[in-house]
Amino acid sequence: MPLPPRAADFVLRFALALVLFYASADKLLHPQDFAAIVKGYHVLPGSLVNPVAVWLPWLELLLGLCLVSGYWCEGAATLTAGLFAVFWLLLIVSWARGIDVTCGCFSTKPAEPGAETTPMLFYIGRDAVLLGLALFTAWVRLRVAGEPEA
Amino acid sequence: MRLVPRIIGQSLGIVALSALFAFAVNAVRPDGLPLAQAAKTSSGAAPSAVPPAQASGEIALKDAALLFLSGRAVFLDARSQYEFELGHIQGALSLPTRNFASDFQDLKPLLSGKDAVIAYCDGESCPLSQALAKHLRDAGITNVYVLKNGWSLWQAEKLPVAQGQAAPASKAAPAPKPAPAAKVAPASKVAAQVAAKAALAPAKPPAPQMSKAPKMSKDDAKAKGPAKGQEKLCTDCDN
Repeated sequence: MPLPPRAADFVLRFALALVLFYASADKLLHPQDFAAIVKGYHVLPGSLVNPVAVWLPWLELLLGLCLVSGYWCEGAATLTAGLFAVFWLLLIVSWARGIDVTCGCFSTKPAEPGAETTPMLFYIGRDAVLLGLALFTAWVRLRVAGEPEA
Repeated sequence: MRLVPRIIGQSLGIVALSALFAFAVNAVRPDGLPLAQAAKTSSGAAPSAVPPAQASGEIALKDAALLFLSGRAVFLDARSQYEFELGHIQGALSLPTRNFASDFQDLKPLLSGKDAVIAYCDGESCPLSQALAKHLRDAGITNVYVLKNGWSLWQAEKLPVAQGQAAPASKAAPAPKPAPAAKVAPASKVAAQVAAKAALAPAKPPAPQMSKAPKMSKDDAKAKGPAKGQEKLCTDCDN
């Protein structure tokens, strides 16, 4: 029996919010480390590295809160999908350029010297799954929001 | 459709509110990041001070620079060929980690007779150089070191760098002929790799005076003119 759209909407939003909470936690606690990771991507001018490193975890946290609470939900779901798309493209570009492939997606810890490094394709694949989840959540949310109230 | 303006409005609200929270909290927390000085602290690719060795197998910049100047080290660029062409340590050889299996055998003769084989990439936490070093050790090369954050540090210290194509290792000449580094203007990929080898020859240190590197570039450009595949020398190539 298929899940009713409103139930699916809630489950998906809750799952996406958990991902966002988890992603933001370590970055909020260690802004210096996260700034180093942002810098390592070599896509932002130096003057924007710290502001983005400060702002991004809070954006993720607020998106998660919106998704769970139901406030500004359509905007939050769409913005999350856009955010994940940007992250995914950044990973692909960094991989193609051969630079600084430490993801920084969920942890700010640098890779241990000499330790086995996580393959970049793993990060890209994982982010593709998360992007799929975010897009599906946004699609379901917008469908539910577009329905007339019962 | 009514949803579109709603989505845009909500998104802008979330962005603004998160920025407000972020910068307000950052201002009051003791370990907040300096936003106004970000350009100084973050964009200057790397601090000028030489970082201490943090783990076995890593080499400090000053040690790497000394080995470079005396021609006792060969530098291996673990980044992509594209990044290598944008700029690299003068005389370095391109060996992207993912091409190791195909390129290493051709490159191996160029590594012999050196005190150190130094792998580098770019970024504080870039693992490519570590991965390349591991591959090299597994392949039997013993004197392998990693210059952490090598490309940024090297540029920050204005040490000699070069731009342009060099041969992927698989296309390099296995037994290069020595040639004076300052006059080399290789027009072919093979010649570029030969130049790299020559620049590292102990008898002819590549750049005993770092300040001469830009002059060499100008002389080189005057003598030969720009040509595709030419490796040009400079000390402040932009990344």
